[in-house]
Order: sequence, then structure tokens, then C-alpha cells
Amino acid sequence: MTEKILDSKTIPEEIVDVVKQSVINTFESILGVPPVYDEDSGPEGPLNGVIGNIAVFNPERTLSLMLAMPKETALGLSEAFIGFEIPFESNDMGDLIGEISNILAGEVAANIEKIGFRGQSSLPTATRGSDLTLFMPNKPPSEKLKFKGPNGDFWLNMALSESN
Amino acid sequence: MAQIRALIVDDSKIMRSAVKRALSQLMIADFEYVEAMNGEDALNQFDDSIEIIFLDWNMPKMTGVEFSKAVREKGNTDHIPIIMVTAEKSMGKVDVALNEGGANEYITKPFTADKMHKTIKRYFDDEGNLVTQKETEEKKSFFSNILKS
Repeated sequence: MTEKILDSKTIPEEIVDVVKQSVINTFESILGVPPVYDEDSGPEGPLNGVIGNIAVFNPERTLSLMLAMPKETALGLSEAFIGFEIPFESNDMGDLIGEISNILAGEVAANIEKIGFRGQSSLPTATRGSDLTLFMPNKPPSEKLKFKGPNGDFWLNMALSESN
Repeated sequence: MAQIRALIVDDSKIMRSAVKRALSQLMIADFEYVEAMNGEDALNQFDDSIEIIFLDWNMPKMTGVEFSKAVREKGNTDHIPIIMVTAEKSMGKVDVALNEGGANEYITKPFTADKMHKTIKRYFDDEGNLVTQKETEEKKSFFSNILKS
């Protein structure tokens, strides 16, 4: 697994599959219905919404996860997760998306362990704004996955790099 | 219904609220809450009045498992149920929390009130008293009676 990652210009398919399934599991447990993976990841462009950042890492490798939620999707998610809609502008919105990123990372860490990547989760951070651009580094392999949920579309970006 | 003082430890305010909301829905006790944002904060707020602890794992400054170990190392705290409420799902993590950290139960996020109920109901009697606490008091009373006689 380690050699494969070192030599690869893309994230190994088995890791992408694990992350994809982890996203589906996590959001199904929150929303009650599974989001659907959309092969068309959509156009690049600034995001009006929230981005949750977290990583699953070990001393050799870091799998960075960026959960990109458009405003409307995030508002619907808050209702499903805590029972009522929280204002997009409130600090609670960042807290919510950070926590959902944390839950996702827990699922990814548990599943990715089964294919030989044993790691732990970092603490989550969240960025909220109306003109957010996802910075995906060129060098490490990265992947962008789009999902359609009952509250709207969202994206999961991931990058696999060497740990510092 | 008995009043129970619960310490809720999570760096997410949203998750602390979710735990409080789930506990209030259970109607198994009248909970009074003490909240802490991480293990260090929780250790500062921990005292003899705390009767049950709901504890996240992944927090800044001091993790939930570090806090749990610190509480158990204080001694005379075995009667306090420590319920891990965490996003960590691997079996290795569960094992560490329960066997090395001294936690009693493990709930993974996201959770429902029903899941919370199934996990913690055995710690409460029908009047909302903590069973462990009641048993401790019964033992104290038993030995006290022996000493008197």
C-alpha cells in the first residue's frame, strides 16, 4: 500500500472507494437517506457556503478531507442534524460542519484501516464565506467527489500527501 | 424524579447541545448540566458533585481518554459512569477507551436519543437514581449497621 501511494499520481482507487462509501454512510446516518454519488463533479468556481477541513494521518501519510457545503445544503443539514435550522452567519454553522467533518473522518479512519492505512483524525476546522475557493495542491494526488443529498449537492475533496 | 449532575465534555457546542437534548428526551432523570470544552477544562470543573460524565474523545489540550484516565486515577471515582460519545469508530479506539481509559460505555456519533437510552438506562432505576450510586449507599449503610451492632 505504501509503495503504491508513493509511486501514484492519483489516489489509489481502493482509498477513493473507501472514502466515497464513508461519505455515503456518514450522511445516511445523519439524514436517514444515503446521498448519491455523482460522477460529474461539476464546474470549478467559488463557493458560497462552508468548508470543513480535517485529516486522517499517520507518521508517513496524510489524507486531507475537505467537505464543501453550499449554503442551502448546509442550512438543510443543520435542520436534520440538530432539529432546527441555524443561521448561516452564526458561529454554530462552522461548529456544525466541523463536527460533521469530524464524524466523517471517524468513519474514514475506521474503514481505511481495513485496507492497511492506520491513522488518526486531526481536529476539524471550518471556513464560512461567500467567495470560497478550494485550494487543491498540484503535487500530491487529489480527487473531487460530488454527492447529491436530499438537502442539495455537496463535495468532498481529498488529497493524499506525505506527512510533514 | 432524582436530580443528577452530569458533566458534558465536547469541544463542539452543537454536540453538547445534542447530548443535552437527547438526555432531556429520555425522561429517566432530572439532569443538571456542567459543560466543558476539553479535557483540561473538564478536569478543572470536576468535583465530588459530578455523578455521570458524557465525554468526547478528540479535543484540544486534553483528549477525552486522557481526562477519563485522570478521573479514574483520582480514586474513589469508579462509581461515576463515563460514557464516551465520539466520532472514533475503530475497534482499537473502543478498546483503548474502555480498557485503558476507564470509560464504561461507548456511543458513536451521530447518535439518537434511542441509542443513548439503550446505552445508559442500566445506570438508572425507576426513580431516576443512579444505580451505582444507590448500590454504593446501600453498601455504606450495611457496613455502618455492622459497626453499630
